[in-house]
Formats: sequence, C-alpha cells, structure tokens
Amino acid sequence: MSTRRAFVLKGGAALGAGVAATVAGAGMATGAAGHAATKGGASRPPDAATAGGSREQDPGSSSIEDREALRRLQLTFAALLEDERYEAAAALFDEHAHLQLSGASARGRAAISHLFASSYRLQEAPVIHRAYRHRADDVRIGEDRLRATATFHVDADLCTPLQDDCTIARMARLQGNVADRRWETGRLEAEYVKTGGEWKIASLTYVPA
Amino acid sequence: MSARNYRPLQMHRIAYTDLTESQVAQALRPTANGPSSRSPLSNALAGKRLEIVTDGGGPRLAYHFRTGRELELSENGGKPIKAGYGALESRDLVLVSHMIPGTQRGYKIVVDRRTRLATVFEVSFSGYAKQEIAAAAAAKREPQFKNGHRNREAQRQIWFGYVADGGAAPTARHTYTNRLEGKGIYWRQDNDIEILEFYLSVIYSNFIELTRFGGEMTVCAPSDYVMIDDHQFIYSRIECEFSGTFTLQVVDLFDMTQKGVRLGLTDQDALEYYMYTGNGELTGQIATFEVFGNNGETRTGPRRVYRPLETFDVMTDEEVKDQVLNHAHAFGDGKGSGAAGMGGYKSEQITHFAGKKLTVRTDNGPTIDYDFTGGNKLEWRYGGDSHWREAWYEMYEPDDQLYFFAHLLDAEFPRSCAMVALDMKNGLATIVKGTTGTPFRNNETHPSYYFGVFHMDGGPTPPTYVRHGWTDELVGECVTWNYQRGNPGLTSMHFYATPSTYSWIIFQPDGSGGMQWSSPGWYSKLRDGVYLMAWVEEACNGTLGVICFNKRIMHDAGFGFHVGRNGLSLSVIGARARHAGKFEIKKYIGLNT
Repeated sequence: MSTRRAFVLKGGAALGAGVAATVAGAGMATGAAGHAATKGGASRPPDAATAGGSREQDPGSSSIEDREALRRLQLTFAALLEDERYEAAAALFDEHAHLQLSGASARGRAAISHLFASSYRLQEAPVIHRAYRHRADDVRIGEDRLRATATFHVDADLCTPLQDDCTIARMARLQGNVADRRWETGRLEAEYVKTGGEWKIASLTYVPA
Repeated sequence: MSARNYRPLQMHRIAYTDLTESQVAQALRPTANGPSSRSPLSNALAGKRLEIVTDGGGPRLAYHFRTGRELELSENGGKPIKAGYGALESRDLVLVSHMIPGTQRGYKIVVDRRTRLATVFEVSFSGYAKQEIAAAAAAKREPQFKNGHRNREAQRQIWFGYVADGGAAPTARHTYTNRLEGKGIYWRQDNDIEILEFYLSVIYSNFIELTRFGGEMTVCAPSDYVMIDDHQFIYSRIECEFSGTFTLQVVDLFDMTQKGVRLGLTDQDALEYYMYTGNGELTGQIATFEVFGNNGETRTGPRRVYRPLETFDVMTDEEVKDQVLNHAHAFGDGKGSGAAGMGGYKSEQITHFAGKKLTVRTDNGPTIDYDFTGGNKLEWRYGGDSHWREAWYEMYEPDDQLYFFAHLLDAEFPRSCAMVALDMKNGLATIVKGTTGTPFRNNETHPSYYFGVFHMDGGPTPPTYVRHGWTDELVGECVTWNYQRGNPGLTSMHFYATPSTYSWIIFQPDGSGGMQWSSPGWYSKLRDGVYLMAWVEEACNGTLGVICFNKRIMHDAGFGFHVGRNGLSLSVIGARARHAGKFEIKKYIGLNT
C-alpha cells in the first residue's frame, strides 16, 4: 500500500470517529467534520456488507447515529472506489439511484454497476475518480428519518485514462498508467434513502469547486 | 566477436509446440537427476541439513543433502522425497537447483550462509491455463488460448525467508529491488554461450542471444530482481510468449561473475536443464526515472506479463483486403490527424509546398512525380505514368529545410504508403514505402527503403553518388519519448539495441521501467544527428512506425501505418525526447567502435 493510499484510508476512517465526537458535543442537526489528516489512528471503514447499518431501525436511536452511519457509508464508498472494488461500491446504491461523476453517469443500481465494470474497470470513462480525501461535510437527516441529504467537501483524485489504441497505450493501461492525474477540490452532493433499516445512496453527484 | 549462427526464424516467429501436460511431464522426466553443468558443481552442502522457513504462506523446506548431487526434501513436514540437484557458489551464496521427481515443479534456492537469509523460487510447468481461467473468471470473460495452453511455459513463485538453526529468526530479508535497473551486461558462459542482457525495467528485461540466435534481435521477458546486498543480486526471467524457458542467475557486480541455472524446452522441444557460470563485462548504466529515495520495488497483485501473441488479432486475407480497400484513411481524410495517440507533440504542419512540383528519383526503387495542389492534398504519379492520383498528405520539418511527408499509394491489395524525406540543402531524398502484409500475417506491415534524390524548380542540384544511408550510430542509445501532454501522459523509452532491432519500455506510474516488448528496427542517417528510424510491431499490432529523429532538438516527426479491424490508417507521430544513456555494445555485435 502506498504512503498516500495509506494516508487516505487512515484519514478517511478517522473522519467517522472524529465527526461522531464533534457532532455529539455540538448536539446539532448538522455537523462539520475536521480535516481527516488531523484525526488519525482509526482502522479502515467497514465493508460494504455492514456499511450504512444493516440492523433494523431502532426507534430510540438518535439522528446522530444516522449521520454517523451516512458518513461511514460515504467513506466506505470512497474506500471501495480506491480499492477498485467496483461491484461492492455499486451495492451501496439504491435500486433507482443516480450517479454523476465528472461526465460518467448512470441511473439505477444495475446501470451504476455496469458503469463501474465497463467505463471504470476498462478505463473508458472520460475521467475516473480514483480516491477522495474528505475535508468537511454537512449531513441533513429528513424529519421522517428515512431520507437524508449531505454535502461532502473533498479533494478528488481524478484520472484521465489513456484513450488511444496504440501498442504503448495498451501496455501503459495494463500497468495502471493514465494520461493525466491530478487532485481537484470539489464536493459530493448526496441523497440517501433508508429501506429495511439500511441506508443506501439514492443520488451522488460530484461538483467541482 | 565469435562466429554467429543465424536462425531462419527469430523467437517471435517460431511456432512453439503447444505441448500437452503429459508431454511436458515426459520431457521433464530427466530433471529428476538434477542439472548438468560444464563447470564443476559445488559440494558445499554435501552431508548437511538445511531447513528453510519462508514468509507469507510459503513452503517450509527441510533438506538433507546426502551428497553433492543427491538430496532429500521434506516439504512442510511431509514425507521426504529424493532428487538429484546441483549447486554453485558465489562468495557466501549457494545456488541450489532441483526438481521434484514425478512432478513438473521444483525449487531454485539462493542461501546466504553468512546472513542465513534465503530466497526460494518455486518453479513449475503446465500452470498457465489454470491462471488464465482464473483471470478470465475474475474479469467475467472467456479464457483465451489463441496460442495454446502454454504448458511449456515456466511459472514461478518467489518466497523470502531464512535458514532455521534453532536460534532466533533473522528479521532482515532479501528484497525485490530496482538497483539493477538501467544496467547492461555482456555475459560469456562456461558453455560458450554469449548473451547481452539489459535490465531496463524492474519487472522485465531484454536480451540479445548472440550465440543461440545470432544477435539479430533483442527480445523481452518478464523478470525478477532480488537484492542480496549492494553488489549481489538474483535475476531471473521466463521467456513467456516464446519457449517458456526459465533462467535464474546470481549476479556479482564486484567480480562480474554469474552463477545460473536454465530450465526449459527448446524450439525442438528438447529439455535444457543445466547450471552455468559466466564472466561479464558492464556495457553501461543508463538513467532511471524513479524519484530519489525510491530504491525498491513494491509489488502488488499478480505478475504482469505482456502477451501480444495472445491479445492481438490475426486477420484473414479477405478481412485485410476489405479494410485496405474500403476503410483506408490518411490524416483524417484531410481534416488533420489531430494530436491524439503518438502525435501529441507534433510540430507545426508544413503547407508551403502548395503549388510546387518535384520528382523523387530513387536508385533502385520508384520514381514519383509530385504536384502539391494544397497544404494537405497532393497529386502523384509514378515516373513515366500519365495517370495522376490524389492523396491526402501531411508534411513536417524535423530539421532546418529537411522535410518529411507521407501519403497513401494506390488503392490496391496489399496497400502501401510512401513516407518521403526531402533535404532542401542537398537534394537528397529517401522513400520509406510501407506495405501491408508479411509472410506471417496480412495485418502486419513491412517497410522498403529507397535512397535517392529529388529534382525541383529552384531546388538544389542533387549529388551524383552521395546518398542517405544505413547507420549504426544509434546502436546502444536509450531515448525516452513523451507523446502526450499530461502527467505521466503517454511515455516510453526506446532502446536501439542493434542495427536491426529495438525495444521499448513503458514506464510505471512511479517512474520505474515496466513492461517491454521489441521488434525489428531499421536505421538510416539523413544528416549529422538526424536519423530515420523505422520499426514494425511484428507478432503484435503490426504497425509500421517511421520517425525522423533530430538529436539536436530531441524531437521527432513521423508517421504510423496500421491496418486492423478499424481500417487502414496513416497517422502522425510527434514526441519529445530525453536522452537516457547509452550502452557500449557495438563490439559485441560485430560493429566497428
């Protein structure tokens, strides 16, 4: 694991723990996370199977727990994206979800899964989101606690794939090379739905700053 | 230089037998007795017991070396087996090689008697198909066996560990390394085999078989580099896509010696299993491109192997004929070739020949009359022919008043293009005619060179005897080529290995050398420091690339000629170069230095 990658995973995972403390202390409906890099120390986000909370709705659970679950869900998505575990990433979306990432878009979980399997896996998307470094967030829980929205301010690791078909481009792609790679500041606008006690991503759109 | 035995077919043209598992097993049967060796084998381990513990789920190997040629081995506490073996020493290192009788696998072990560290190569055969099936299942595709099941291809697993002696286990390990990267060595083995090896990547190497194949071509193989210390290394390769032969050697850079083992089946399916010693001469050390401080190689995932024979199409006559006649495009059919692919740094297009006429007259080839009717359109006809044809062209100026342009020739099968260099300072001209088809594949191309002159009103009076000509001035040079903007963009390194071949290396994201491949290459000189270099990606995608390389400005102008399922294309190449270094190898390949 590269140093940068380890940093992102550790930082990303730390966000959940740090945010929980911040939000609990503030006692507010919305919370802002500190910089992930300053939190440090926690283990990586949970697997897709447990992300977002698989337990049934507890009538007594607080909106703080919901916000924390949503942050963990978003961190899990980021970790799976970085690990190129695209099928697991697609499983985090609602059946009718919408995804819009820098020109790559899909509607419905099946289409999202296909987008990851083809455009991302085969490096055919115009731009590939490879990783996120979360900076701050604003999670808003609906009154019915079955829907939520959030804004995640991120630094996004964006790759422009090599599109050419010449031999050296093919060889370069096999090695994971890209035409261009850069960090960009932006935000992820997300919507969530809770069905069967489990939060799913209903919509995710990346907006450059 | 020793006499060279040229071969009718180079490795990439040999149809290696697709042996069955049982055929491979039969061929390997003699390996039970251990390897042969021209040099005396070592008795250093005779009578000794050695228990090797490896990390990461690797085997635990308990050896009893009964003699200098016979051992008993218990794997992971299992029942001991007997096998013949061979050993060679390199200072404190002992290289041991043996197979496990009745199987298609065995071990090559390097033990450091001083540090107790050990590296274990578990080598096996008939394993490619299983890997391909698993990879296909993971990628949800059908497994591909275009070129057979490759049972003859050696597979290897590498384990790092130590010799257990009842005391505390050492914490250090041998490691993968990039410390051999950029180095070239000429080796002469005890069996009179001469070979030039080039370690230009951390996962590949290329080599020129001077004895076995006459030194015409360089070929590439996935390779492993393990660091023992600052001057001792383990280098191994497997000749994937070819014979599948496994080679491993301990290299000592202090005294420039090697101790090695070669295991595989020849193109005649005969077993080669021998150990060897050799003496080397350093041929050079070129630049490497990792950031400072990156002194190792971090491996993740399975070994990467470039398999052009497996992945590129072989089209039928009719398929190629349809493409070259009905789907031929030059430079976007006048819309411009764009800056994609290998043309990201193309220079300014030259259009001021519009309105000019000239005749290129080659010595032993075509005479072509040109009428440049526009900045990207010309008319041409063969000398003596009254029929003018229209064609799209693009022209560049790679050196002062030296022009290079290209266009398609007649719409016939096979189909050709002309790439023409004109020197306005002396009237010399060279045509590289690219044509589709080779005796091996119709969707490959091949070049024909024609040296000559041109005549143009207001142009120079050409010489009578002087011509552009073949050159070996680039032999040994390594040049990086950056084809596109962006970081890292599309970048490779050319290694001009002999006057008839070259190799290219694709950099990995961390700047280290990655996958490599090679092809025939042709080199001619236009001016001091300005060359025409051509290559055909044979047994690959078949493209003919021709670049006019100006070493003074470290830039090129060139063209690519390709036929495939998307048609026939003539496109532009334009890239920026850096000099990476040079190997002094001419004397080993019979060239004057």
